[in-house]
Amino acid sequence: MSSFVIEASGLSKSFGQTHALSGVDLQVRTGEAIAIMGASGSGKTTLLHCLAGITRPDAGTVAFQSGAGRVDVTALGERERSRLRREAYGFVFQQGLLIPELTAVENVALALMLNGMPRARAEEYGRGWLGALGLAGMEDRRIGQLSGGQAQRVAIARAQVTGASVVFADEPTGALDSATSAEVMQALLDSTTGQGRTLVVVTHDADVAGRCTRIVDMRDGRIVGERVPGVAA
Amino acid sequence: MIARVAWLLARPGTAGAAASLLPVTAFAIVTSLLLVVLGGAQSFWTWPDEIGVTYQALAVIALVLLVVPLASLGGAAARLSARRRDDRLATLRLLGATPATVSELAVLESVVLAAAGAVAGVVLYFLLVPLVALIPFRGEALGVDGVLLGVPALAAVFGGVVLLAAASAVLGLRQVVISPLGVRTKQDAPKLHWLRIVLGIAVIALAFLMMSVLQVAGSVMIILGMLGAAFGGTIAVLNLIGPWVIRLVAQSQARRAKTPARLLAARSVLESPKAAWRQVSGVAMTSFMAVFAGTGIALLDSFGEAGDVESQQLFADIRTGILITVIGSFLMVASSVGVNQAAGILDRGELYRSLDMLGMPTPTMDAARRRAVMSPLRITALGSAVTAAVVMLPLTGAAIIVAPLSLAVIAGVLAAGIGVVWLGLLATKPMLERAAAGA
Ligand SMILES: Nc1ncnc2c1ncn2[C@@H]1O[C@H](COP(=O)(O)OP(=O)(O)O)[C@@H](O)[C@H]1O
Ligand SMILES: [Mg+2]
Repeated sequence: MSSFVIEASGLSKSFGQTHALSGVDLQVRTGEAIAIMGASGSGKTTLLHCLAGITRPDAGTVAFQSGAGRVDVTALGERERSRLRREAYGFVFQQGLLIPELTAVENVALALMLNGMPRARAEEYGRGWLGALGLAGMEDRRIGQLSGGQAQRVAIARAQVTGASVVFADEPTGALDSATSAEVMQALLDSTTGQGRTLVVVTHDADVAGRCTRIVDMRDGRIVGERVPGVAA
Repeated sequence: MIARVAWLLARPGTAGAAASLLPVTAFAIVTSLLLVVLGGAQSFWTWPDEIGVTYQALAVIALVLLVVPLASLGGAAARLSARRRDDRLATLRLLGATPATVSELAVLESVVLAAAGAVAGVVLYFLLVPLVALIPFRGEALGVDGVLLGVPALAAVFGGVVLLAAASAVLGLRQVVISPLGVRTKQDAPKLHWLRIVLGIAVIALAFLMMSVLQVAGSVMIILGMLGAAFGGTIAVLNLIGPWVIRLVAQSQARRAKTPARLLAARSVLESPKAAWRQVSGVAMTSFMAVFAGTGIALLDSFGEAGDVESQQLFADIRTGILITVIGSFLMVASSVGVNQAAGILDRGELYRSLDMLGMPTPTMDAARRRAVMSPLRITALGSAVTAAVVMLPLTGAAIIVAPLSLAVIAGVLAAGIGVVWLGLLATKPMLERAAAGA
């Protein structure tokens, strides 16, 4: 069994005249935290979406390795990719993007309910994760009643509650101040690599990237460098 | 400042185009339906004879019936147009525009969109005139001359629609806080009070009393006047009780929900029971009317056998009128639902996109929003029908005995109403799929 959880090779993706990705190869190791950095428009989000099976690349392949074997994600249909995303992956977005009319615990439990878990048990797990992320007592608040950092921790709980083996985060601290940002990033790392899971995070923030195990730099749809934090590029 | 601000508002964009097109379409539908209804009704005033007066009285009832769903469609269109530019309003504040400038511009834009829609609506009305002209009353088609409105009427409707948009924009703005950091709805809508129930029961009792008096009243005009008052009162009551009942049911549904779609639907109804009610309240009219219509048809049928040619003609025409009114109100409710849903999908585009990324199947999202409309709709339709049956109790009872067919008519009318609203939901499904796919 390979130690890579995701292997992408030759990824290309264009939007009209824009070449968002041009021949990207990337291998994500099990249990690592990998940061994707680069200027705005360099293709970070597109790469993340291809790795996570949200976007199908024009060329190239993405493979996902799990206990159940190796899956060619790019060969899967819309439905199977959707299922893979809700069962094996977790997502954290910049804006949280939680469902505003649900309570915090319902937002988290929903991820489990989508996989068929009964509601009572799903909410129990949800409460557990919220507690672990320092949100005990806020389970029944609606999203509008939470601060940006708290909402982002609810999003982390939602990404983790299904036991996702890979969590994809697109600028998860982009809307937070630096102190809150550090707390949220710590929570994200604790709940992923801290538990032997894998984190792929797109970020502009050098401090956030500095806490990861590996940094990949992108420019104009290509990977132009790779470094280990603390070591000069 | 104003120049810079106006440029910002006028700036085209993909979201901007859809955001403008939708309220324009909604205002066009409102205007054309209103003109068609007025045009049809005006032809009744060209009959100078005695029975013409009866027709006019009936036309007034039909107009009153149609005013409610039409107003709620108009309100939906206006709210939609007021809401669509929320984001840009926040940007304007960020650029340093004063709240007053922003408010003036918001109202101005609403007025422009409404005017554009009203013009399109007038055109649509002219296209519909030949069809409406074919409808037979008193043994012959109404004719184009009969249903064509004059310039003053057209101008009045145009002005009315634009005014509605302006008023709604002003009211809509009062409900939001426009700060440089975004547009937020002001904290929690006022709680629905138990007093509504007491008030509601009181008015139903009053309407019931009036209907009992009506059994012995002689003159047609008195009957019609009382019918009108009973209608108006009952509709007012439904508006008081409706949101409250919808909230109660949704609370219990949220507690018991076992699937993601059910939980989402119940919670989104609870988010604003008033909005949920507004969306379907036109069906309260329809269901209420269906019971009246069903009862009326049944009783008229049993009288009609003995009547002379002229009253048989009148009964046939009343049936035509009822049918047209029912169809009209269904179209308005379906349009409201379509407009509201389209607006909702545009508002939540990013959220739907993110849910798709998380792996929530689009059918689950669709089921959730469908349920959030259809559940209040069922409560509303059944609740209103029962309320109407209670108000009309002696007549309903008679109808059940004399003509069980009337029950079939009621059931058919309700099913058709629910079906049309469902079609309104179906029409916006491709929009949801596009939003989820991020296209
Ligand atoms: N759905 C899309 N349609 C058109 N162009 C897109 C789309 N998504 C991304 N792009 C373009 O592809 C390039 C890379 O975008 P993205 O991956 O979002 O960059 P980043 O996340 O690094 O800012 C940009 O030029 C962007 O404008
Ligand atoms: Mg990006």
